[in-house]
Amino acid sequence: MTGEIVWITLQVGAAATLLAAPPAIALGYVLARREFRAKPWVQAGVALPMVLPPVAVGLGLLLLLGHRGPLGPLWRALDVQLVFTRAAAVLAAAVVGFPLLVRACEQAFAEVDPRLERVARSLGAGAARVFFRVTLPLASRGVLYGVVLAFTRALGEFGATAIVAGILPGRTETLALGIYARIQLGDDREALILCAASFALALGAMLGAEIFLRRRTSPP
Amino acid sequence: MSEPAHRIAVRLARAGFTLDVDVAWNERVAVLFGPSGSGKSTLLEVVLGLHPRVHATVRIGGRTLADPHATALPADRRDLGWVPQESALFPHLSVEANIRFGSPRAGAAGAARLAQALAVLELEPLRARRTSELSGGERQRVAIARALASGPRALLLDEPLASLDLPLRARVLPYLLRVRDELDLPILYITHDPDEAILVGELAIVLDGGRVVATGPPREVLWSRAVLPLSEALGLENVLEARVRSVADGAARVETPGGLVLSLPTPAALAPGSALRLGLRAQDILIAVDPPGRISARNVIPAVVRSCEAVGDGVLVHVDAGEKLVAKVTAGAARELGLAAGTNVHLVIKAQALRRLA
Repeated sequence: MTGEIVWITLQVGAAATLLAAPPAIALGYVLARREFRAKPWVQAGVALPMVLPPVAVGLGLLLLLGHRGPLGPLWRALDVQLVFTRAAAVLAAAVVGFPLLVRACEQAFAEVDPRLERVARSLGAGAARVFFRVTLPLASRGVLYGVVLAFTRALGEFGATAIVAGILPGRTETLALGIYARIQLGDDREALILCAASFALALGAMLGAEIFLRRRTSPP
Repeated sequence: MSEPAHRIAVRLARAGFTLDVDVAWNERVAVLFGPSGSGKSTLLEVVLGLHPRVHATVRIGGRTLADPHATALPADRRDLGWVPQESALFPHLSVEANIRFGSPRAGAAGAARLAQALAVLELEPLRARRTSELSGGERQRVAIARALASGPRALLLDEPLASLDLPLRARVLPYLLRVRDELDLPILYITHDPDEAILVGELAIVLDGGRVVATGPPREVLWSRAVLPLSEALGLENVLEARVRSVADGAARVETPGGLVLSLPTPAALAPGSALRLGLRAQDILIAVDPPGRISARNVIPAVVRSCEAVGDGVLVHVDAGEKLVAKVTAGAARELGLAAGTNVHLVIKAQALRRLA
């Protein structure tokens, strides 16, 4: 039982991070390298899921993903049911972790000397090669840190997930949801076991990241 | 009349600064000379293609890189070997990976270029090093090798010695001269150091306030009228106003408002009373503590030291000899002579060292 919940939590967390990472890295790069008038608005908008009550984010997602929302006709036409599925849990965790990842990436890219990118260009490297051989490796510490933050945030996600994915044992019940459900049932012992599992998972992820990052610390 | 091999023409207005340049030349090694803020770096960026939206004409080595009437070549297809200031090595790559960066899969040709770059800059012993383990001079050599190994059709050197102290400069300079002489590449060399400009270039293009103020052989151009205010801005030279007192034996005796009397050669006839402007380089003034005996130098002038100022490669000695002059000596000489504010000295100036500016 506990094993299954941990497994679902890990799956949801990993899928959410993988889903959020590519757009978050791209957006972080744009925010670090480009100046445009709407930039403060974009930055504020990106931060919203982090500062809004997660329950409100969940409600927003419910509207977007539900058959009765504005996109309802689309979902019905595609015959897709997202609400109360594991996909919805993944989406909720991704949305909530996205701002952390964007912020970390923006900072990491901003610290990369743009001159190095220009030198790489002058040496014949196209935009993609410059990004993957110079910019991303030099920003990798910060980007990886953002990935780990988003992942651990996804592991603990509760409010938005509860609204849009429900607490369905064996399908959408992650650790945070499981703990809440056990407390509601008065099953303190089970709740504490799940708490311990959460603790171990979060500590393991952060510790693993710190050790990994320490090993690949780039030279000054 | 065929077109010159090299041409840069661009007009670019920024907040508070306008770069307006149209210069063409044929010499293989050209020096772009000017103080900081004169537009050298912006001009270099235009040549590199880093301002894609700016209309410019750029032709280097007979190859057109940009033309206002056509699509400009993007920066990654200009085949220019750029050695930026302070080397800008990729910190996450080894020395060898840095040098290889510009020819990732060039096969035999790339291997040959890598071998040549390692040989010319004597980097073989360092190829496996991390860049963080290199000294300043080594970093600069790696940056030059990286540019060479990419198979460039021209080299752009942006103040390659500016970040190095004098002893290191002396160690890197021979490599630069070797690159200049052994490889038949057009070179555009940016510097604000007149000595470097004279040593390296066949042609000097002098930039000030975003405009070309002079072009010509470095030795002549750096002393020209147009460059004069620039020399003063660089704080290197003595400029004196003087009037001719007498002329005899092909030499004129002139006197400054402060009462400094100097002898200088006069190839053309000079009427007594006519006004002159003279230039004198700081390192062309010798300083003697004891009065020198019989000596060929025509000017031996008593003076008092006002202050001494250590600079990168020596000591600037500010003296008062009727006029305020600055001489440049080595730190060792300043120490040995005990030069300090108040020291009485004799300035020894060859007549030939006095340049007539106007």
